Amino acid sequence: MNKKTIELAFYPGCIIQTEQYSYELSLRSVLPVLDVKLIDIEGFSCCGEPLKSVNRMITLVLSARNLAIAESKNLDIFTPCPICNLALTECKKILDNDEKMKDKINKFLAEEKLTYNGTNKIISILELLHDIISLDSIKRHVKKPLELKAAVHYGCHSIRPSEIGRFDDSEEPKKIEEILKVLGVETPWYPEKLDCCGGLLNMNLPETALTKTGEKLRSIEEQGFDLMIDICPWCHRQFDGKQKKAGETVAYNLNLPVVYLTQLFGLAFDIPWEKLGFNLNLSPVDTLLEGR
Amino acid sequence: MNKPRIGVFVCHCGTNIAATVDVDKVKEYAKTLENVVVSKDYKYMCSDAGANLIKESIKKYKLTGVVVACCSPRMHEHTFQRVSSDGGLNPYTVEIANIREQCSWVHDDIKESTDKAIKLVEAAVAKARLLQPLIVSSIKVIPNALVIGGGIAGIQTALEIAENGHKVYLVEKTPTLGGRMAQLDKTFPTLDCASCILTPKMMEAANHPNIELLTYSEIEDIEGSIGNFTVRIRKKARYVDADRCKGCGDCAENCRLKDRIIDEFNLSLNKRSAIYLPFPQAIPLTYTIDPNHCLMITTGRCGKSPLCVEACDADAIDFNQKDEIITINVGAIIIATGFNLLDPSMIPEYGYTRSPNIITTLEMERLINSAGPTRGEIQLLDTKEKPKSITYILCVGSRDETVCSWCCRIGCMTALKHLYLIREKLPDVEINLCYIDIRSYGKGYEEFYRTARNLNVNLFRGRPSEVKPTKNGIIISVFDTITNKLFEIDTDMVVLVPAVTPREDSLELARKLKVSLSSDGFYLEAHPKLKPMDTATGGIFLAGFCQGAKDIQDTVAQASGAASRALTILSKKELEAEAYIAEVDEELCSGCSICISVCPYQAIDIITEDDKKHAKVNEALCMGCGACTAACPSGAIQQRGFKDKEIISMIEVLSK
Amino acid sequence: MSILDLTSMGEPQIDVKREIIDRLERLQDEIPEYCYQCAKCTSGCEAHRLLELEPHRIVALLKRGLIDEMVNSDIIWTCMSCFKCWERCPQKIAPVEILFLLKNYAVALGKQIPGNYTAALQSVLSNGLLQDIKTVSTRTGEAKNRKDIGLPDITKPTDPAKFQALISKIAIEKI
Repeated sequence: MNKKTIELAFYPGCIIQTEQYSYELSLRSVLPVLDVKLIDIEGFSCCGEPLKSVNRMITLVLSARNLAIAESKNLDIFTPCPICNLALTECKKILDNDEKMKDKINKFLAEEKLTYNGTNKIISILELLHDIISLDSIKRHVKKPLELKAAVHYGCHSIRPSEIGRFDDSEEPKKIEEILKVLGVETPWYPEKLDCCGGLLNMNLPETALTKTGEKLRSIEEQGFDLMIDICPWCHRQFDGKQKKAGETVAYNLNLPVVYLTQLFGLAFDIPWEKLGFNLNLSPVDTLLEGR
Repeated sequence: MNKPRIGVFVCHCGTNIAATVDVDKVKEYAKTLENVVVSKDYKYMCSDAGANLIKESIKKYKLTGVVVACCSPRMHEHTFQRVSSDGGLNPYTVEIANIREQCSWVHDDIKESTDKAIKLVEAAVAKARLLQPLIVSSIKVIPNALVIGGGIAGIQTALEIAENGHKVYLVEKTPTLGGRMAQLDKTFPTLDCASCILTPKMMEAANHPNIELLTYSEIEDIEGSIGNFTVRIRKKARYVDADRCKGCGDCAENCRLKDRIIDEFNLSLNKRSAIYLPFPQAIPLTYTIDPNHCLMITTGRCGKSPLCVEACDADAIDFNQKDEIITINVGAIIIATGFNLLDPSMIPEYGYTRSPNIITTLEMERLINSAGPTRGEIQLLDTKEKPKSITYILCVGSRDETVCSWCCRIGCMTALKHLYLIREKLPDVEINLCYIDIRSYGKGYEEFYRTARNLNVNLFRGRPSEVKPTKNGIIISVFDTITNKLFEIDTDMVVLVPAVTPREDSLELARKLKVSLSSDGFYLEAHPKLKPMDTATGGIFLAGFCQGAKDIQDTVAQASGAASRALTILSKKELEAEAYIAEVDEELCSGCSICISVCPYQAIDIITEDDKKHAKVNEALCMGCGACTAACPSGAIQQRGFKDKEIISMIEVLSK
Repeated sequence: MSILDLTSMGEPQIDVKREIIDRLERLQDEIPEYCYQCAKCTSGCEAHRLLELEPHRIVALLKRGLIDEMVNSDIIWTCMSCFKCWERCPQKIAPVEILFLLKNYAVALGKQIPGNYTAALQSVLSNGLLQDIKTVSTRTGEAKNRKDIGLPDITKPTDPAKFQALISKIAIEKI
């Protein structure tokens, strides 16, 4: 069966494209295998979510602006970052239900000759992998099943607030688990699964953010997991990039490999680890690469 | 035809009407209307003096119709119909002009409201000119009752009716009487043993000469109306001959599936056989084969031969038994179907499915009960050890807009009751209780709560956000708004106090009975204060939890009340039928059957007379809802008292 | 007639309260007045343990109209936006959204705001992104940039001047 290639506007968001290169690289390596073509588009800006505390209007306009750019190319917009996804989804929800607000925002967008109509879809990483590509298609590409026991971290913005429409159930999410099962990875439930990484506190209270990060990593490590899987660049920055510091903050010697879901896909698909950005993980992921 | 002679009677209703309507002007205007031969006013027309005024006028002026300008017909139409009847008029020649609720109460301007009152009176006179006397037929009442549900509500209702000398069919879906109350250990606030007070009632119902017990039976369908319902009941096959079974239990002891099937009475805390008695005091004391599990029934074979058959000395097991449908006739029906508890997995953050030691109050009830699966030992379900710490969480799904917005009305008191019962068995166990408000609203309840506070319990005023089962213990974080501190509770056992919900099949039964549900899914009463036991459907009443959350006290009180309401029908030989029913003009009717399709009461048939098809209304079944009159394309069906020409005459006046 | 908080000598600011509640109803269809103080939000608040944020108290103060007390306090800046309070509220109230609006209000009043927010706003203003492109380090300590890794150019606003004009316009606009 010759499946049609899915074309999507690639919206990387700030954190992925300015520092979380392993996520971007693994996405660019893995998705073509699954017949997804990422279209790079000029002109995107920040989604605005981190500025929601400063001015909610800025968030709305920035999100609408990015949606309008994708709309102008007639493409659905793919947002691997759950925080960007939340901003865009919330913006769409508000504008599609409030004509007055939509008109107001469009007046701002006119400055750059853009219009938001609400015609394109916003696609998250889990919707893309689980719902659009489907578990069956993923299964066909698995060459090296991974015998690992992973602690799954969805990240707050992936599953909450469900009022806005999120990728999975807010209390019992299972899409990552179902995907990982196809890759041969075991994913036991653990009590801290839905806890926050602390990442957004980096804006003003980085020390406290590290405590949150460290506490969660510690309890995962104590429960004997091989690694942690995440899908959010903000969470990953905490759990992987700042793992050492987080360990110091909670006075615990942390040694937990933390990888993006898409990086793990690459390993199961037998894509060379260099193309998945594994050299950029700062957590001890070497054990996962043995024999590759 | 003689000219109509109409009397108009305008009521002041103290100042209720007279303060905003110029009553004298209305009275004087009425005198000018065609066919009005007398017009009077009085301070309170509904008083004895007012009634006499009407009665005397009917005689003196030889009236053929009466218009009373007063309050809503819902208030006093019956009063004035009776008064006119006493005065010698047909009661259905009375017309009410509502100049209170629809006029004086809603307007302030005297001139405008007086003008409106005049119009309303003129319209009523226009209709009164056309009103015809109605002869009301009567319905023969079948003096028997049907009670649906064999819990404490159903038992109480059945006994009350039976004691009054009427036959009662008591239908219960499960194999035994008892319902929810049979699952309880003790009852609040007196701490008397539930089965000690329930079992004698069950016995009494089972042995009462006027009660026919139909356990393991369900309502198939219902036809008819108040005074005369025809009900078909499915008696499900037990595969056990009730006359032979002595309840010895040898069959269950020998069943190949012994200890393999979830025991619904003990709520999955233990396992039973495929042939079972729900609990030792079950009534009737007859074993039942579970058709969903028994190997003989599901696969047609059970080893070489079924072990229960071999074990049964009485030769009571009969795999050839079939469901049986019986038909009964009753004059009144009482719904007493009880409630369910919310499945706490609906609130996943409380971890009900994640640890065997997170249970519900009803499960705790079975653990405390000495006839329960642990013989009354409170123990952890995994290790079978005694818990060192037990934590209650109240309002699990209750008062929650995302699950059940209502208060369960039994949760606080049940949890407090458990405090007493646990303290008795485990004097040193730590007990924590997280609540939002303790609602101890009943007689003796606040006193019960006061004593409970001194039973060495940690009360936290706050709702936990999640319950985390870990390898070592169950962790609950709760912010206590009394001390303004966040507490982390490390506990062995968590008892969730779940919300209460309607029975899973309440909608299905509501459809069969043609009664309504309120937005919470419980059965809807006719009036929340004044008719709490009635449904909007005549002859069908409500008892107990099926109408809305209540404790045993309130359930029993309502059950007795529902019995009394049913007896107001059953005690009569005949009932007056509805007067304002539909009638067919056979000349105009084409027999198109549209009326049949809209009639909710199956009250219309098409018959053939003199080679002509036409609709015919069954006067006993018609409830006068008017659906057919609105649907009839030729205007052939008309509703008595509300005929097109009568209504149009009013509209003509009002639109002048 | 008046109501006075004797601990702070503050009076309810009913107009501000009304405005905030109107916005919440408009944006998220939530009605804080329904809060019955069960404190489920605070029991599960990720920021409470470490930073003592009490979402149920935020809702209570909003209901009472004591807005100044909140906008003058650092506590509103401790929310981690984990959304648990909104997700689990039995009355469908979203303390997290109330906090966003209180912070917006504090900014509009020119109150002191945490430094990194100013920096982030500056960065978005100047290049459309939250931060500058970083050169990262591998696990073995090598420095790498996007090009080294083989990633294409980043996407950002093509006409910075127009983009800046847009953001500046909104900054002075109320919701």
